[in-house]
Parts: sequence; structure tokens; C-alpha cells
Amino acid sequence: MTGYLNALLQTALPHVAQPVVIGVGIAYFAVIIAISVWAARRTRTASDFFVAGHGIGLIALTVASVSTSVSGFAFIGGPGLIYTVGLAAMFIVLPASVTNVMGAWVLAKRMRLLGEARGLMTVPDAIGARYRSPAAQGLSGVAMLVGIIGYMATNALAMGVVINAIFGVGIGWGIWLGMGVTLAYSVAGGILAGIYNDVFQGTLMAAASVLVFLFVLKVGGGLGDISNTILGADPKFLSPWGKMTPLAALSFFFVFGMGSLGQPQGVHKYYMLRDPLQLKWYPLLKTLGLILVLLLYFGVGVGVKAFVTDGTMAPLSAPDQATPSLLLTVTPLVLAALVFSGVAAATMSAANSFINIGAAVVMHDLPIAFGRRLRNELFWGRAATVLIALAAAFIAQNSGTMVAFLGIFGWGLFASTLVPALAVGLNWEGATRAGAIASIATGLIVTLSLETAAYAKVFTFPSGVTASAVALVMSFLMFFLVSWITRREAPAQIDPDVKLIMEL
Amino acid sequence: MTAESGGGRDFTRSFARAALVASVLAIAVAYASAFARGGAPSWAPWLLALGIPGALGAIMILGAARGRKGIGQLKLPFLFVFVVLASGFCLALGLPANEAPGATLLLGLPVRAAIVIYGIGLLPIVVLPVAYAITFDTQTLSESDIQQVRELATKIRDNGEAHVK
Repeated sequence: MTGYLNALLQTALPHVAQPVVIGVGIAYFAVIIAISVWAARRTRTASDFFVAGHGIGLIALTVASVSTSVSGFAFIGGPGLIYTVGLAAMFIVLPASVTNVMGAWVLAKRMRLLGEARGLMTVPDAIGARYRSPAAQGLSGVAMLVGIIGYMATNALAMGVVINAIFGVGIGWGIWLGMGVTLAYSVAGGILAGIYNDVFQGTLMAAASVLVFLFVLKVGGGLGDISNTILGADPKFLSPWGKMTPLAALSFFFVFGMGSLGQPQGVHKYYMLRDPLQLKWYPLLKTLGLILVLLLYFGVGVGVKAFVTDGTMAPLSAPDQATPSLLLTVTPLVLAALVFSGVAAATMSAANSFINIGAAVVMHDLPIAFGRRLRNELFWGRAATVLIALAAAFIAQNSGTMVAFLGIFGWGLFASTLVPALAVGLNWEGATRAGAIASIATGLIVTLSLETAAYAKVFTFPSGVTASAVALVMSFLMFFLVSWITRREAPAQIDPDVKLIMEL
Repeated sequence: MTAESGGGRDFTRSFARAALVASVLAIAVAYASAFARGGAPSWAPWLLALGIPGALGAIMILGAARGRKGIGQLKLPFLFVFVVLASGFCLALGLPANEAPGATLLLGLPVRAAIVIYGIGLLPIVVLPVAYAITFDTQTLSESDIQQVRELATKIRDNGEAHVK
């Protein structure tokens, strides 16, 4: 998986600094700044800053959630991965057909009601409340911080690459320019700026994705002709497992399906919905939105394979060139400009979300774990936001290939440390504090040690097995085993309001 | 104790937990088998093909269960999604590979690919989110649920009972 996920780095985008592209890019940044100024004027408390005062409407929350669910990987690395391994890469996004409604059933109602009853703001808050345990809250916060550092550094580098492609300013300046804009709106307007920028960015991504997909179908003569072209040259590409083993493709489905329940950038949005009853339509709308945004992932990956096969496009110098080469060869320049802005949008949106979540861990969850709360959470939240963003940009610029390593395990780390304790724990009264802490610790230790061993090449996984999958399975088993061993303690570890919320 | 909790064993959640543990164990065995000399045996992907839908279905049931009322009308949608995912994976594993020049296409894709992309990737969307919305008021959340939570939270605050925070 390491080799495939290195595609996340996107370090080889061509320069497209032409007047149309620059013009669309400037217009994009102007809208971002305007939204941020508006949001900054409405941010007055820590609750406004971290959960938008529990006051976001259904449509805004849905579009924002789609936007943060999709990183630059869906636009650049993902199509490149399909181009390389065939349809096996679809197993990363296929779980979207069930994950949103699964999250709604398993987490949304209970987390939103916990927000209602206790004014919770963070994912570790929910773990702390469920088990009456500052230690579990702090440990999950530490695990999240480790994952956030990786995600942030990867997104900072991706921003640098995309901004360099649009404006031709160099990757280093691109990192600081992109992070500077993201930081400005994160500090000033907190999650409120993030949410409404995500609404704009998500709309942009969906529009770009649908237009590119339709262009691919038009140029390729429809999906049937595209398939026939590929089948004539490389039939294995269109087998369900592509060029990977069934075990590897199914592992993608497991980690990205079950793991979705532990992704804080999606899960903590449940706190923000103004009216809990609006959750009724949330999974349907979010799933439809995701399908639109992911059309590009499938369309470009398969389309470019066909176009290179029939000579419409020249062979790619690297898989990551799939999207940019298609845009510069087949589609009108204005659409290319829209997609490049969409990629910038995806990376900035993801970065903003992680900055906000990381800041909440630093100034809220960790102090609670140590038994002391900060007085001015809004001020310290803004300070933590600046520090995290600067650290991410610094790491992105100075750590070379280490960034790829950090970016690899983010999803798996969130999954293995949070899914059992949070998703199962909020739905099973027999889960215990010891089970939750053991599970979080197992996920953290197993993910870090296996990924480090694999990165350092002291250990090689058998085909189809990944550190993320092994860590998630071990974390589940540890959670059930320790909860069973300590089952007598379970009833005393649930407060009455939490118990009521779990029963509803 | 709420009106819905009642006494007795919660069979729905017990079943869901057992199914989740069994499914995760099946997945664990599949991964463990891949470490054997000679690589993963041919049955390993089949364990994932059944274990993954089992795990996802079980955790959905666990989340959707409401007090002792269980999952009510949601039995059918959950059964449907388990069958769609499991049969989709198993058909992709079991059907002969027909991906070749001139192969029969189903909605523009070779048959096995079409089963995976349309069956697993799109079919659940038609059923699950709609089932969630249709049963939301009775199975998931109502105004009286929210009121119940607010009243209890207020009572706890008024009594000065400290939470962990």
C-alpha cells in the first residue's frame, strides 16, 4: 500500500500557469477570503470556533462534510491509482455506498444528543463522557494528534504542489501561501469559516467532477466503448480485483469502510447540526454528494487508460499525471482551471478541518486529561491553530519522503484507535473503560510499530495485508477481550444521561 | 430506566455483538493465513468476502437497535445489504473471468466488474439511506427523545451532579 499511497504526494503536476487558470485561481481565493471575513465576524466563543455553536443547517453541513471527506487524493492520486492497478482502486471508494448511513445509525444520533446534553465539542469528549474517563479522552486525543500531524503535513505539501501548478511560484512558496490562506480563515473564523468555505469548495468539486466525467464519456464514446478499448489491450485492468489480489482489494474495502467510523473530520460534524431531527436526510444527501464528487475518480482513471491505449493521449510519465494530462489534452482550459481550483479546494478544506480538530485536542482534550481546563478556550484555540498549521507547513517543507510516511497511516490510525472505543462503545453498555483504553493503546502501538517497520524495510507484509487492517482487527479483539474480562465494572462506568442516550 | 428499556435480555444487540465478534475473527483468520509460507490460501478472500459484510451489517444493527425494541422494520434493509455485499464479493470471486476482447458488457462494464461497481457501489444507496429516512421518526429519533434527554440533562445540572468533565 505504501507505494500506491505515495501517489498522495502529487509532486509531479505540470505547470498550467496560463491567464485563464490564474484568473480562476484568483477568483477562487477571493471567494475564500470573502467567506472568511464574514465568518470571523460571527465567531465569539469556543463553541462557535470548534462546533459552529451547534448551529449549522442540513444542506451546509452535508456539502461541507462531503468536501472534507474528499482530499486531493480523489482528484489526483486516486485516478492515478486506478490507471496503475485497475478497478482494485475502486475498493477504496466503493464503501461510500454504506458508510454514510452506517455512521448515521452508529454515531450521529448519539453524538448529537451527547452534544445536546453536555455541550460536547470533540470526538475525545464523547469517549471521555461514555466511559467517565479523562484518561481515555486524553489517550484518544494523543492518537488523533499523531494522525493529524501526518494528514496535515501531506495536505500542506499537496497544497504547495497544486498552487505551484496554478501560479508557478515554486512548491515551497506554494506550501506557505496555501497554508497561510487556510490558517487565516481557520484562525479568524474557526470551523464556521471552514464550514462555509467547505460549502463553496464542495460545490466547486462536485461541478468539476461531473463535467470532467461527462467529457470523458463524450470523448471515449460511452463507457462501453471505453471498456472495449481497454479489454483489447489489458483485460486484467477491468477485472474486479484489477492488478491486485482479491485479499488486497477486499482489505481496502474493510479499512475504508469500517474505518470511516473513526475519521474525526467526518464524525465530529455530527455535533454541529442545528436541529438533530434534520439527521433524517443527512445520509442520503451526503451519499449522493459523494457519488458526484467521486465520478472524476472513476471516470479519469478508466478514461485515461482507454485514451492512452487508443493513442488519444500520450503515455503518462507517472500515474499522478492522469488527471492533469487529461485536462490539458482533452478538456477545455477553463475546465482544467476549475479542476485545479477544485484540487486546491480539496486540500485546503481537509487541512482546515484537521487544524481545527487538532487545536481542540491541544487546548481542550489534553488539559481535561490532566485535570485542568483552560480559561479562555477561544484564545488558546486560535493559538493552537497557528502552531499546528506552522508545524505542518514546516514538516511538509523539510522532511522529504518522511511526509509520505506520515500521510500513509493517518486513516488507519484513526480507524484502529477510535472505531471500537467510540462506535461500539456508544452502542454497547458492556464496554468498559479498561477495554476502551486497551483498544486505543493497541491501535496506536500496532499502527506506529508496523508502519515504521514497513517504512524502514525491516518487515514486509504478505500480499494483501496492511498495517492498518491488522491494527484495526487487533484493536477490535482487544476491546472485546478486555471489556469481557472487566465486565463487572461496566455498569458503574456510565452516567445516567449517557445511558439514556445509548438506550434511545 | 426508560419506558423502552424494560427487563430481560437484549437479543438484538447480543446477536449483533456476536456477529461482529465472529466477523472480525473471520477477518483476523484471513489475515493470519496470509503469513503462512506460500502466501494466502485460496479460502482467505472468501473469509473476507463474508466477514466484511458481516462486520458492517452487525455494527449497523448495533447502532440502529433501540432499547429492547430491536431494529423493527429495519430487518429487511439490513438483510438486503448483507446479501448484496456478500453475494457481490462472492460472485466476483466465484464467477469465471470473462474479461477479454469482445466480452459481454453489462451497462458498459464486464459482468464481474459491473456486479462490483453497480451492485456493491450503487445498489445499497437505493435502499439504506431511504430506509433510514423512512424509519427515522419511529426507529431513530423523535422530538420526545430529544425532550427526554434535555429534561434529564437539566435535572442532573440542577441537582449539581458532577460529570467526569
